[in-house]
Amino acid sequence: MISEDGSEQVIVRLDGVRKEYGDSVALDGVSLEIRAGEAVAVMGPSGCGKSTLLNMIAGLDRPTAGSVFVDGEDLAQLNETGLALYRRRRIGMVFQFFNLIDDLPALDNVALAAQLTGTSAAQARKRALELLDELGIADRRNVYPAALSGGERQRVAVARALMNRPALLLADEPTGALDSHAGEQVMDLLIDLNQIGQTLLMVTHDPRLATRCASRLIEVADGRLVRESALERTP
Amino acid sequence: MSGAVWRASRAAVRRRRLQTFVIGLVVLTSTVALVVALGLLDAASAPFDRTFDQQRGAHLVATFDPAKATDAQLAQAAHQPGVTDVAGPFAQVVLTAPPDRAAPAAGVDTPPPGPITVVGRADPGGPVDRVDVWSGRWVTGPGEVVVMRPPGEHWGANEEVGSRLILPGAPPLTIVGFASSLSQTAGAWVSPDQMPALHPTATQLLLRFAHAGSDSQVRAGLTAVTAGLPQDSLLGSLSYLTVKQDMTSTANAYVPFLMAFGVLGLVVAVLIVANVVSGAVVSGSRHIGVLKAIGFTPNQVVAVYLVMVLVPGVVGCVLGTVLGVLAAHPLLHMVFAGFDYGYFTATLSPWVVVLTLLGMPVVVLLAALVPALRAHRLSAARAISAGSAPGTGRGLRVQRRLSGTRLPRAVSLGLGLPFARPGRTAMTLTALVLGVTTVTFAGGLSSSVAAYTDAARDHVQSVSYVGDAGVGQVEPKLTDAQIEAKLRSLPGALHVTAAAPVELRMTGGSQVVRGWFLRGDSADMSSAMVKGRWMKGPGEVVVGTPFVRKHHLAVGDHFTLALDGRQQSVTIVGETVTGDADRVDATWETLTAFAPDRSSSRYVNQYWVQLAHGADVGAFDNAVKAAEPGLNPSESGDVNSVTVTIVGSSSVLTLLLTTVAALGVFNTAVLNTRERRRDLGMLKSIGMTPRQVMVMVVTSMAALGLVGGLLGVPLGIVAHRLIVPSMVEAVGSSLPAAMMQVWHAPTLTLLVLAGVAIAVLGALVPARSAARLTIAEVLRSE
Repeated sequence: MISEDGSEQVIVRLDGVRKEYGDSVALDGVSLEIRAGEAVAVMGPSGCGKSTLLNMIAGLDRPTAGSVFVDGEDLAQLNETGLALYRRRRIGMVFQFFNLIDDLPALDNVALAAQLTGTSAAQARKRALELLDELGIADRRNVYPAALSGGERQRVAVARALMNRPALLLADEPTGALDSHAGEQVMDLLIDLNQIGQTLLMVTHDPRLATRCASRLIEVADGRLVRESALERTP
Repeated sequence: MSGAVWRASRAAVRRRRLQTFVIGLVVLTSTVALVVALGLLDAASAPFDRTFDQQRGAHLVATFDPAKATDAQLAQAAHQPGVTDVAGPFAQVVLTAPPDRAAPAAGVDTPPPGPITVVGRADPGGPVDRVDVWSGRWVTGPGEVVVMRPPGEHWGANEEVGSRLILPGAPPLTIVGFASSLSQTAGAWVSPDQMPALHPTATQLLLRFAHAGSDSQVRAGLTAVTAGLPQDSLLGSLSYLTVKQDMTSTANAYVPFLMAFGVLGLVVAVLIVANVVSGAVVSGSRHIGVLKAIGFTPNQVVAVYLVMVLVPGVVGCVLGTVLGVLAAHPLLHMVFAGFDYGYFTATLSPWVVVLTLLGMPVVVLLAALVPALRAHRLSAARAISAGSAPGTGRGLRVQRRLSGTRLPRAVSLGLGLPFARPGRTAMTLTALVLGVTTVTFAGGLSSSVAAYTDAARDHVQSVSYVGDAGVGQVEPKLTDAQIEAKLRSLPGALHVTAAAPVELRMTGGSQVVRGWFLRGDSADMSSAMVKGRWMKGPGEVVVGTPFVRKHHLAVGDHFTLALDGRQQSVTIVGETVTGDADRVDATWETLTAFAPDRSSSRYVNQYWVQLAHGADVGAFDNAVKAAEPGLNPSESGDVNSVTVTIVGSSSVLTLLLTTVAALGVFNTAVLNTRERRRDLGMLKSIGMTPRQVMVMVVTSMAALGLVGGLLGVPLGIVAHRLIVPSMVEAVGSSLPAAMMQVWHAPTLTLLVLAGVAIAVLGALVPARSAARLTIAEVLRSE
């Protein structure tokens, strides 16, 4: 995505974001920009503020101070409903533990995201089936989450995240709950998505995931960005 | 109970404050309804039975013609196998006090107008009818009389021990005491030596039977006694069951519906307690696993859950009992006011309190036992691994189908939620069904009672009583005819009826009935008819259903009334929905026929006036007083206190049970929301708005409410059809079929929607809290 002046458009901009939980400071003056088409990995020790950073960008939590702009939208200006619509239209989220609805088969889990926007059931299912097909699990569309493997569940979760064509895909430890084989499959999927232009921000403990999928690495410690570096993707 | 179990239970109570509160409130509400219902049930019969037993009351008071059966024959006849005790024969005479009561001199008393039964009896004790002499002493010889009065009551201005009583056709007698007999065997007692001077006309025999639990048993006893006596020697009889019915009928009217509310409350409480514990076991399975992992035995785990429920259960029960006792006292006072005749005081029996205090916690424990046993069976490993995540495979097909409908997704998801936990849904649905049943039943009850009251009232707005010099009032200067004409001429008067209440005797029976001889516009002012028509000419009478039932008569039947030694045959031409069991309404011509040589006007003691629509009763009464100071006008009670009490108490109980049903829904919605925190967090993370979350949660309960409404309304109608007739039956009255037709399409629709309203009310708060869930927190904690 190229802006009028020829530079790549900034999708995410954080200015001096601070987040406190009681006496503890989870984020301390974080400023950050992510441009369209980038794949950014956030790494750091447990409790350093990685997930909090992701939640701020996803609009799941509000900063104590500072501002968060995503795709031109100032999240501080949005109320709860506005944030819900923002999540629905602008971002997609992938979780470590998938967070699928156990009562719905794979296809309906994916279609759900579109149906919330008012898309008809038939259209939503058509689009969901296309996505499942692209991710290679169309044959598992009528299977319930309990009967899917970990890798399959995460693919369903990714399909759901992509359902409304988000500007930004957020992934929180996307391979954290998977065995190495399934983890590889998900990594390949994320690389493919980024290569077709999907902006990606992932939080991970796994250096392999970062080096394989991301073009930029941000390291966090004690709520601050301590280092930022470009990455050469390893095959 | 070990300290560990107690500590774990206390922690569970603290952790589930909301559920603890719900259980406590539900048990409290149910306990209040139960205490009131049981208290009334007991009070309706126990005080009468207790006093009756203390007085060794007569199961049957029989009077015989002394000309046909001698005392020796009667004594012989009473020795039957089924007869356990006998008192008498006692000589008896019925004296009639005239209606025109002159102002008594000092130290002299005259009885109220009407017949008074005088019995010659040497001793107030004996094996049957131990008369309670509550003031003064018993008669010891001629010239003395003991007057029958309920304890503490005096009817005349000069009625006191030592004063003289003037009875018609009898020498002056000195009142030496006041006594009461629950069996109502006499209005006054004199020494047997006094009776020859009074010219007795009957002989009284008081009987107790080995078996007297029903009318048929009492009748069988009478048949056995009279079998060997000359034909027609029996003049009349009075069963103690009739007396009991007279005294307790109002209380009996309350019992069926209060019991219905009590049982409904109990069932709802059981369902909600079971639901709460079941939810606690399901959502706390990880907690159960941890308890087992650290060494709690399965029985100790069950004990933890039972104690967790018992703590709020006992608190709710104790508070509910206290509130129930406080609520029952004024209700009992109101129900029995004027109906106990001072013989007994209706109080709440201790057994009601004891039974409730012990029984309610047991019910709570039993309700909790089944779900608690699930915790007993749950394996520790499975419990820990299951956590609070919902199970799989339930209601999947339904969810699938719903996801393909055109409904908004929040709605279709909500509709699918109840299928995820069918057991919980079934219990919540049952609570809702019972809630709607209660609302429907109470609505029907109020409508029928209101229709009954409307039909039963006699359309009289003002009653003007004639001043009685006997009690120190001013007597009218105008004549009877002039008063009637004056009342008709006053502004606002629409219809006027002159009423003459006269005590009469039904021949063939010893009982006194009150004849209301009516002149004027009585046909326009009467209450609704069940059968027949209003009276027109001489010899025609109209009676209420209680009279028909008590005297085993029907429209078209003839019977004979006696006044001052004259007898007249009358025909029942109509039956009204209400009325006294001893009241006969008759035409003025019938009274004239009794005493053609005397002025019937002297019997008139009140005038009933129906006012034109919109007329001011107070202004009319003032005009009456100004026109004739000898009249004492008063507003006629338009609203029946029984109606007000029934409608009021059913409304309160309905509100309580509706609240309980809503709490049940609230509890289910809370449990579902808690269990689905992860799903809700995820749905919000992919863009579900707070409003959609609320719609989803409320829809899930509203759907149950709709089903509850559709099932509860027919059940409520069935309850109405069963209970209301039994209430009317209890007061010895009848209800025309039209008064049971209180259901109309708009009402039924509203009642069905009542289920939805209850459900939505119960679900709103949990839905709001679900909508406000902090997603990041939920997803992280999961």
